[in-house]
Amino acid sequence: MRTLAFSLLCLVTITGSAMTRTEADSLVARGARAYSAGETATALALFDSANTVFTSPALLYNIGNCHFKLNDVPHAILFYERALRLAPGDADVRTNLELARQKVVDRISELPSFSLGSTWARIRGGRDADEWSRRALWACLLFFLCLAIAVAMKGRNARRALFGVSALLFLGTALSIAFAAFRHDELTDDSEAIIMSPKVDVRSEPREGSTVLFVLHKGTKVTILQQENTWSEVQLANGSVGWMPPASLERI
Amino acid sequence: MAKHIRTLIALAFLFLAVQRLAAQEITFTAQVDRNSIAVGEYVKYTISLGNARDRFEAPSFGGLVVVQGPFDNSSFTIINGRMSGSTSRTWVLTATKPGKYTIGAAKVRVGGGIIETQPITIEVAKGAGQQSDPNATQGQSRDPNIFITIGLSQRKAYVGEQIVATYTLYSRYSGLETTKETLPKLDGFWAENVELGEPSWDPQFSTVNGLQYRTAILKRQVLIPQRAGKLRVSNYTMECVVNRSFFNRGTPLEVKSNAVEVTVTDLPGNAPASFNGAVGELEMVVKADRTQVKANEAIELTVTYAGKGNLKLLEAPDLELPSDLEQYDPKVTDKINVNAGGMSGSRSYQYLVIPRHEGDFIIAPIEFTYFDTRSGSYRTIASEPLNLQVSPGDGTAAAVQRPNKTDVQVLGKDIRYIRTGDLDLRPTGEHLFGSVAWFAGLSAPAVAFVLFLGWRRKRETELRDVAGSRRKQADKVARKRLSDAEIALKSSDRTAFYDALGKALHGYVGDKFGLGPAEINAANLRAHYMRYAGGEPVAIDYIRLMEACDMARYAPVEDRPRQQLYDEAAGLIGRTEQLVRA
Repeated sequence: MRTLAFSLLCLVTITGSAMTRTEADSLVARGARAYSAGETATALALFDSANTVFTSPALLYNIGNCHFKLNDVPHAILFYERALRLAPGDADVRTNLELARQKVVDRISELPSFSLGSTWARIRGGRDADEWSRRALWACLLFFLCLAIAVAMKGRNARRALFGVSALLFLGTALSIAFAAFRHDELTDDSEAIIMSPKVDVRSEPREGSTVLFVLHKGTKVTILQQENTWSEVQLANGSVGWMPPASLERI
Repeated sequence: MAKHIRTLIALAFLFLAVQRLAAQEITFTAQVDRNSIAVGEYVKYTISLGNARDRFEAPSFGGLVVVQGPFDNSSFTIINGRMSGSTSRTWVLTATKPGKYTIGAAKVRVGGGIIETQPITIEVAKGAGQQSDPNATQGQSRDPNIFITIGLSQRKAYVGEQIVATYTLYSRYSGLETTKETLPKLDGFWAENVELGEPSWDPQFSTVNGLQYRTAILKRQVLIPQRAGKLRVSNYTMECVVNRSFFNRGTPLEVKSNAVEVTVTDLPGNAPASFNGAVGELEMVVKADRTQVKANEAIELTVTYAGKGNLKLLEAPDLELPSDLEQYDPKVTDKINVNAGGMSGSRSYQYLVIPRHEGDFIIAPIEFTYFDTRSGSYRTIASEPLNLQVSPGDGTAAAVQRPNKTDVQVLGKDIRYIRTGDLDLRPTGEHLFGSVAWFAGLSAPAVAFVLFLGWRRKRETELRDVAGSRRKQADKVARKRLSDAEIALKSSDRTAFYDALGKALHGYVGDKFGLGPAEINAANLRAHYMRYAGGEPVAIDYIRLMEACDMARYAPVEDRPRQQLYDEAAGLIGRTEQLVRA
């Protein structure tokens, strides 16, 4: 009897801790209602609790909006960046991120990227890893289907044409997989971070008292190059590099 | 003047009578009609000198104030030829504060000596009657004859609440000429003077603690505190000359009022957003001169604040007009009275509004919040929304000047709204890329394709080799036919048995060696069997069995039992299979 009770208790705790999709959906719906009623803090708490187990670009975007409304610009930027990683082409996220960035003190001119890179970026477009993965699956299926039909075909010309098409499809499959891999790398890459403390001195060495190279303010995005003794070596968009004390960053 | 003349006449009589008085005994006494009074009550003090005509000195009154007097009185009496006379002088005194007062000794010089009266003590109790203005009482205590008071309508106020300050002169002197005035310093107040004209004496006397004064209001101001804390209204100072007459150059005096403090409280912190400093008892009226116009015709929109309060410090209201309405700076009209009651009246803002396009417009309610001093809380008044109906303009010059198309005006910038509905939630960290399902999905078509190719190749070779397939099937077909024969054997159907057995034997070799029905003969069979090692005896047996079967089929001859024939056929087919496979 006691074992039964114990196992029941375990079951309850397990189901209690692991949120189901339905529960998360209802949390999000309540959050949206609170947001529209102007209770932004409540909405943020609800969205955050749903975000502990589940995620989606739209949810991250909503959380970013809440932070923005609560005047917490660095966190708003952080969540917009996270949303953008999952959905790189989302126009709403980009617009709001742009607005949030206008509130950041530091203005850093980005290094001009070489033209091949931007073309590459254009081809990659705003699709995320999963989208490219799905495309790879379809392209792969079509490629083999096409190949099978070509093999089965009797007419010489039709066969040749189909082989051409399947060659293209093969190229498409390979590229899709490559893009998916690239996006996935970006997604799991945690080298980028947002500065959370209002002001931080960036120094030449990873210790207090070394030369201050420049001063950054909250909301600025940096790339973490390496870490030493909890200090982080960061790089700005304009190429400047320096060491930053711990606990002033949050990784995207 | 009249009093002096009377005194002179009296003295003349005394002078005439004095020879006869000389022999009389001289008396000198002081007396009061009562020894204890209350503040504001009077005591009569009289000094009498009997049988002498010398001048006496007035005593010090020890803090008591002379209300009236001195009055002189002389009397002569002639009784039996003896003349006696007395002179007395009387003052009416009062006290402004309770306490014990001593009227000092009066002195008179008679002959060679000085005669003194006894000092008199007067007890003054607290006044039971109507309380005099404490402000005036305080002024009176500085100088009972002339003083200035600062009267405030209230000593405690909120920031922005109006206080009326009245500066009043109290004087008991007959003549007064002002030479210099210094207004109080007003730190932290916004002041507005009340128009009074030239100060003049109030026709009514006012009594302070029993003393009568002539009063004049020197100045009146409306003070509006601008910050919280203890704010001070400093002294009002006036230099003047009193008692100036033809004979007298008068006495210069400096009269100072007391300084007054006002405790100013900050307004409560929960001010609504529309509050911009209005304090008092106010109302707001929003009016448009018309609500149905043509495009490009002007509308006059008037916002009027009326009531009592700091009207002069009010700011223009924020009009939130639809962007298609053009708005001009307002004209401000004040009808504000500043008087003893404070500042009251109205202030109007007249806006000229010109709709540039036709359509129905709603002018949103204008909110006005003021701090209500009666209830000590904020009160918000919202006007009714105004509906404007603008019909198309008649194409006058003004309408044509503007281009028909205008850019969409950006009125504000804000982030876009959140996503609602299904957010397509996924467990964190779960990606399609690299998952087992994805790899499976990717490799499934490849595997399917390879299988397809294999199947196809097998089928192709089989199609290419029809004979082979016949040969492969030969055994199966023959066994099928043999089983038919077995059925016939069991049912003792002779014709069917031999039919089935014959077909089985013929069909088998036909299929096995790729022979047509016409090609099945002894020579052909032998040749084919000969290709296999040990095929000859099988061929001989097979040919003999076929012949036996044919004999039984087409002629009524049965040299062997059917069972034996059947067994032999099955055995021969098995032996042939063994030969082919070996």
